[in-house]
Amino acid sequence: MLKTLLDGAVLMAYLACALFFLRFYLQSKDRLFALFSLAFTLMGVHNLLGALVAPDLDAERVYYLYVVRLVAYLLILGAIWDKNRAGRASR
Amino acid sequence: MAEAVYILCALTSAACAVLLLRAWRRTRMKLLLYSGLCFVFFTVNNVLLFVDLVLIPAGDLTMARTVTSLVASGVLLFGLIWDVS
Repeated sequence: MLKTLLDGAVLMAYLACALFFLRFYLQSKDRLFALFSLAFTLMGVHNLLGALVAPDLDAERVYYLYVVRLVAYLLILGAIWDKNRAGRASR
Repeated sequence: MAEAVYILCALTSAACAVLLLRAWRRTRMKLLLYSGLCFVFFTVNNVLLFVDLVLIPAGDLTMARTVTSLVASGVLLFGLIWDVS
């Protein structure tokens, strides 16, 4: 029960962060923020899928769920790499 | 295969944390600090995931993992609301 409640809070926090980054993107048109927003939405999707498909520890061994999380992290890495490259090019 | 996915999650989140905190040290942008701290907690979460599902399958660290995700997203959300926007 408590875990479900906390999982819901985490999902909400991810989506709120995604919305903040989306706002920054719309204000600055910086691709970094769009990718961050997408990554946090994916983390929220992962959280939701986890709660629906794998509510207990045994069911959680469906590891492919974690591929969603991995893709989100790779998006962040890609976003930082993209930003660093753009920074070097403008110098 | 499962182990590889968990280890990759831990490694990529650690790489994100290092890159974000290094960028923060260079530019002192608050957003980078909060994102970096968020990824530090994600890394802890992913290490716990590996320990929970692979190293000690009999144990149950579900709660610790949920709390680290909550702290991670909470830190970033706090930064976004309090300091950045």
